Amino acid sequence: MNKRIKMTPLFLLLILSACDLRVLDPASETGRTIGSLIELSFLLMMIVLITVFILFAVFMQKYRAKDYTCIPPDRKENKWFEVTWTVLPILLLVVLAIPAVQATYSLTYKSEAEKGDLEEEGTHIEVTAEQYSFTFTYPNGKESTNDLVLPVDREVTFTLTSEDVVHSFWIPELAGKIDAIPGKETHLQVTPDEVGQYQGKCAEFCGSYHAEMRFTTRVVEEEEFERWREE
Amino acid sequence: MDVPFIGQVPTDVVMTWVLMIIVGPVFIIILTKMRKWPLIWEYMRTTHHRKIGTMYILASILFFFRGGMDALLMRTQLAVPENEFWLYQGDKYNELFTFHGTVMIFFVAMPLLIGLMNVAIPLQIGANDLAFPYMNAVSFWLFFAGAMVFNMSFFFNAAPNVGWTAYAPLSTEAHTTDINNNYYIFGLQVSGLGTILTAINMIVTIIRLRAPGMRLTRMPLFPWSTLVTSILILAAFPVLTIALTLLMFDRFYGTHFFTTEMGDPVYWQHLFWIFGHPEVYILILPAFGIFSDVISHFSKQRVYGYRSMVIALILIALLGFMVWAHHMFTVGLGAFANTFFAITTMMIAVPTGIKVFNWLFTIRHGSFRVTTPMLFALGFIPTFVMGGVTGVMLAVAAADYQYHDSYFVVAHFHYTMVGGTILGAFAGIYYWFPKMTGKILDDRLGKWHFWLFVIGFHLTFLPQHFAGLQGMPRRVFTYLPEDGVAVYNLISTVGAFLMGISMLFLLLNLYKTAKTKETASADAWYGEGRTLEWTVASPAPEHPFEKVPYVKSVDHYWFHKQGTLEMLTADNPRPSPVSVKTIQPFLLGGVLSAMSIAFIYHWLWLEIVFGLATLAFFLIRTVIDERESVYRKEGET
Ligand code: HEM
Ligand SMILES: [Cu+2]
Ligand SMILES: [Cu+2]
Repeated sequence: MNKRIKMTPLFLLLILSACDLRVLDPASETGRTIGSLIELSFLLMMIVLITVFILFAVFMQKYRAKDYTCIPPDRKENKWFEVTWTVLPILLLVVLAIPAVQATYSLTYKSEAEKGDLEEEGTHIEVTAEQYSFTFTYPNGKESTNDLVLPVDREVTFTLTSEDVVHSFWIPELAGKIDAIPGKETHLQVTPDEVGQYQGKCAEFCGSYHAEMRFTTRVVEEEEFERWREE
Repeated sequence: MDVPFIGQVPTDVVMTWVLMIIVGPVFIIILTKMRKWPLIWEYMRTTHHRKIGTMYILASILFFFRGGMDALLMRTQLAVPENEFWLYQGDKYNELFTFHGTVMIFFVAMPLLIGLMNVAIPLQIGANDLAFPYMNAVSFWLFFAGAMVFNMSFFFNAAPNVGWTAYAPLSTEAHTTDINNNYYIFGLQVSGLGTILTAINMIVTIIRLRAPGMRLTRMPLFPWSTLVTSILILAAFPVLTIALTLLMFDRFYGTHFFTTEMGDPVYWQHLFWIFGHPEVYILILPAFGIFSDVISHFSKQRVYGYRSMVIALILIALLGFMVWAHHMFTVGLGAFANTFFAITTMMIAVPTGIKVFNWLFTIRHGSFRVTTPMLFALGFIPTFVMGGVTGVMLAVAAADYQYHDSYFVVAHFHYTMVGGTILGAFAGIYYWFPKMTGKILDDRLGKWHFWLFVIGFHLTFLPQHFAGLQGMPRRVFTYLPEDGVAVYNLISTVGAFLMGISMLFLLLNLYKTAKTKETASADAWYGEGRTLEWTVASPAPEHPFEKVPYVKSVDHYWFHKQGTLEMLTADNPRPSPVSVKTIQPFLLGGVLSAMSIAFIYHWLWLEIVFGLATLAFFLIRTVIDERESVYRKEGET
């Protein structure tokens, strides 16, 4: 028992500090969709967790043997209780599954999409990952390494591939990950809507210096982006 | 460090050599002084389930310290941002987490559980041994050989370095040319074979050797979980075998299963996780079984919802085969595949939840006593549920795009594997220790062990959820101050050392208990045993069931003691497996290790020699049958 009491302040502290975690404080619609999905799942799971913790705490107090010689009578299960904790979790999961499926369909970018379509839809950037850097190629042929510049409020699509091993492209504040796989193309779409500088990282272990495979993402005003692109 | 005749060797490896040179002889002298060699010789030739189980557990505890040391080194390197601890940056750090992960899963968690199965299963179902005692010894020595091959890698400065998942194409010849990852392939291949044989042994034992009257529906839950787990092993491990074989061909003979030109790197991920996901259920189901038995024992109450407990085990096992691609949500399999695997994954939460509530209500119907094994079982419930709920969060495919390969995942799987498997194994060790050794582990030290371990555990892994959401990828050896994860990591490191300290209490406890003269009775825990293992002496004799009871219900022994059910001896007990003393399994393990080393270093002639030697063991075994003489004797009388 005393364990949980000791842990509570720590736990609260951590929860409070959670408010400005990168993943939960995103700068794009995509990021917000995922963020709210995370919050929803967290709340639903908290219901489960708190139920279990309360039952656990109460049972710990109440059913601890006071007299070791006393033998509790043999008791069988109650069918209705069992039905309850089968059906309620299913309902809870359905509540979670519906927005989860919707989000999965809206965020998982058309993996078989034609490249032509992608280019028409907005800014299209080709990302080439290799040990241990990302190279970004813009439609006008501009290339930059580990320095990604994006215009604010414009839809951007990325087409990713890798020169060597599997990497994963991750800008926690803008969108989830997508792997960069040799011999394949994967896609990601995002519309950043806040000017700023964001960390980018490789998230799939890719060899000796995986830890140092990082890039910066600068989301800038349209004009500044144009200027940079023509440099 | 520049070592004469050898060249550049990292200082940690040199230190290990020096340590070996000092500790090795000291160890040998002590063993000789204490006249332990006959005992060791005896264990090397044994086929008895209890002795083999004990060896499994001893070996896994040893490897637990080995893997734990890696964990502490990692945590030290990660304690503060931009740390430069010793030489654990870059590939040296990558070796640490690869070694740690592989050792913990294959050489700690698996053998701990298999060891407990060995000790407890025959006793719980009224059998005199496992169905195939010789094969059981082979299983153990194959596990041990595989573990030794894997451990040698560090010793020869060639520890594998591509993670326990060994993703292609990084793990293929094109990207990691050194021999390091050959050790991974052969270590797992040899020990995996042992695991498959164990699964066969367990299935046959449970199906064939139950005491008369013990229908499957009267069997305790640990044997039930063992049966289900063994079937899982039998289905999942061959996939690993195949994956490793293909990887070996890619690395050794220039094939292209997993490279881009002709093969497909994603193919490896599918194969690995078709094995890997069932593997995590292989690790958790036996722990569930242990908890069911322990909680029921110390609550003095039958397991709540026995039938739904069994159905839940089976459902988890079935669903466990349909979720592997939840490890691959970011690969770009498409929205449909991701949705499918997300839903199946969420479905697993339902049977798991049923089990949790059934444990809680077992407690509610009883009156529980806090012993060390019970304490571990109680600590498991909230801890594991925390790992379970993050599991459901991870199942949300779109959200996993953020969690994937971040420290959030590291936190999640440690909550399930340490909070589930390891706590379960500890509960089992404390619980069945009397059956292994005839003594009871000290309760006060056991409780110290528990509290330090659990507090250390939460300190270590709770903050990692936040580090992950703050954007910290896993498998990184450093991070920057501006990443904003320094606090979480520091707390985590402190917690890890607390867990390290807690393990010293286990050692102290083992030492102290070995010294005491007090022995445990047959029904060692307050005479409140419910299942058949508590009817036989502690430690379990070589031939425990001279007379087998006729079983009429679950927990028959308990109801017998309560005076509600008579316990009669069965008229025609099952035939006992024939035990032998043989050094062959040990030698087979040795020869297979030698063959593995030959392959790892591409020494063609040794490959052939040891390959033939291995084959010879199969031939010898084909013509020798120790049962013959026993049957002949039986025929004469
Ligand atoms: C006892 C305390 C433990 C500590 C302090 C600890 C710590 C760590 C750390 C720091 C990592 C590296 C995370 C990363 O960079 O991705 C890690 C990875 C891992 N741990 Fe543990 N761990 C512990 C116990 C265990 C146990 C008992 C198991 C399994 C039963 C386990 C299984 C794993 C696995 C599978 C990995 C992933 C390795 C990989 O990325 O290839 N750990 N652990
Ligand atoms: Cu990487
Ligand atoms: Cu999985």
